[in-house]
Amino acid sequence: MRKTISRNLPFLGLTTLILALLGGSCLPKSPGERGDVTITLYGFSVMKESLEKAIFPNFAAKWKQQHGQVLSFQSSFAGSETVTNQILRGAPADIAILSIERDVQRLQKDGFVTADWHSLPAHGIVNKTPFVIIVRKGNPKGIKDFSDLARPGIRLIHPDPISSGGAQWSILAIYGSELKKSEKERGEADAGRALQTLRAIWRNVISTPGSAREARTTFELGNGDALITYELEGLLMKEANDPVEIVTPQATIFSEHPAVVIDRNVTSAERPVIDAFMQYLWSDEAQQAFVKFHFYSSTNDAFNQANTAFGHIELPFTIDYFHGWDKAYPEVIEKIFRDQVQRK
Amino acid sequence: MSSVAPAMRHVRGFDVARPLSIGVLVFLMLPLVFLPLASIFIFGTSNGLDKFWAALTAPEAIFALKLSMATSFWATVFNVIFGLFAAYVLSRYNFWGRNALIVTISLPTAIPTAVAGFALLLLWGPYGTLGRLLTPHGFQIMFTAGAIILANIFVTFPLAFGVIKPVFDTMSHSLEEASATIGATRWQTFWHVTLPSLRGAIVSGALLTFARAVGEFGSTILVSGNLAGRTQTAPLYIFAKFNEGQIEAANAIAIVLALFSFLIFSVLFFARDWLDVD
Repeated sequence: MRKTISRNLPFLGLTTLILALLGGSCLPKSPGERGDVTITLYGFSVMKESLEKAIFPNFAAKWKQQHGQVLSFQSSFAGSETVTNQILRGAPADIAILSIERDVQRLQKDGFVTADWHSLPAHGIVNKTPFVIIVRKGNPKGIKDFSDLARPGIRLIHPDPISSGGAQWSILAIYGSELKKSEKERGEADAGRALQTLRAIWRNVISTPGSAREARTTFELGNGDALITYELEGLLMKEANDPVEIVTPQATIFSEHPAVVIDRNVTSAERPVIDAFMQYLWSDEAQQAFVKFHFYSSTNDAFNQANTAFGHIELPFTIDYFHGWDKAYPEVIEKIFRDQVQRK
Repeated sequence: MSSVAPAMRHVRGFDVARPLSIGVLVFLMLPLVFLPLASIFIFGTSNGLDKFWAALTAPEAIFALKLSMATSFWATVFNVIFGLFAAYVLSRYNFWGRNALIVTISLPTAIPTAVAGFALLLLWGPYGTLGRLLTPHGFQIMFTAGAIILANIFVTFPLAFGVIKPVFDTMSHSLEEASATIGATRWQTFWHVTLPSLRGAIVSGALLTFARAVGEFGSTILVSGNLAGRTQTAPLYIFAKFNEGQIEAANAIAIVLALFSFLIFSVLFFARDWLDVD
């Protein structure tokens, strides 16, 4: 009796395994309500929490109330350039919230965005946030501004400008901050000093993760002394009781994030709910929700006062300081950063 | 072949080479294999079993595991049947281009998986060479579970074939010839004579393919769209959770996958006698 069982055991084991695998052969149903209408939104990495925890559920509840339809959201988040590349290759996005205007222009160039997105409220900018430096609790390296990151021995985590919009904002923040400070100190912007600082800082970069969120995870795992990122990321980290501190530079850039409809992927049947959702993004309710998640509102400065955690920035500037992305990208990101800093 | 053949003794009495060799083997495997595996298990449960369980039962996690199982299953079914067919044709028939075909079948394992995914997108994507002809008619496989199955088929293509063909090559023809002489049709010969001899190769080829497909990442992340709860497989889920900073959630699923691979290879090992057929 025993001999028969032990001889057949491997056969039984194999059969059980194969039957179990057969049982798992049906493609699973996706969890969550299968709504009547689905909106697919691709966003840059740090948008995840505010959208999934506040904007999506609030809008879905409103829509159900007004139209009786059950709305479900599909979302995917990555570095802004990565998201844009995915959409260009055919990812089924209805709406995209990106970090930099240049990514919208790339989508426009290939015919994915056909409407005039600037005609949306606040010129299509859904929220904004300044760029700050995150350091370890107690600030052991004594970092007070961007120029301190140029000191030898500082190890910096900085996302990859090729895939991350936040990385490009960061480069503009560093470069612009030096220009602004030299303007204030000596009356004229010193481009040479700005380039030198950028070069020295970039020499200290030890890792270039693909998105701002990945850079944050790398930093949280103990790598590096400092991280340049959106202020909202720093505030989310502090909310999660990470042992970090936020260093607000004297001068820094406010990143402005556009939201657009991918006209090519939206059918006329979906158009009403998509347009309604877009309008909702600029509603008071949504803007106040963004502020709760540490973004600055793009419609009403008064909302920003609700968030007492925002740092005070002495010399703020925006992309207008560089005369828009049309000038900033070729002149700063390409000519200065790519050709003179990265390649040296 | 599958049991230990005692080594010839070089030394009378105590042979120091034996414990030394075994020790070096284990010592080398420690940092390379044992410790990385152990760290997944240790970290996953260090934050408390309740967090571990919560991470395991999250609906998106369960979906990711089920999707991985289902897509790997169908890719395995296709590749085993194709592997059988290809091994039969390439082993029995000689024709111009035969060797080129054998090499081509083996190519997919040498290609980086990200390249494989990218190539599939270039071909079948909405703006791809063939895809752009199909999309207007409503057929678009990219960014669906079908794309994951397609990518898995490509990446695991030669695995089952590579296990089955050597059995075909070394199989003695005499049984098949005997079967033909007593009047069996080609199919009857195949089903009653050839196939039973391949039983072990088919099963181990299938399990190998399945295990490899479950772990596939580089091509899947490109062709699936990585939509959580829709087209996100288990490895993609782990990567997404890691990037979001939710290390416990990533770890829980990593443990499941590790245990699953361990199970597959244990069964393969303990059933090896049954699988080996002369």
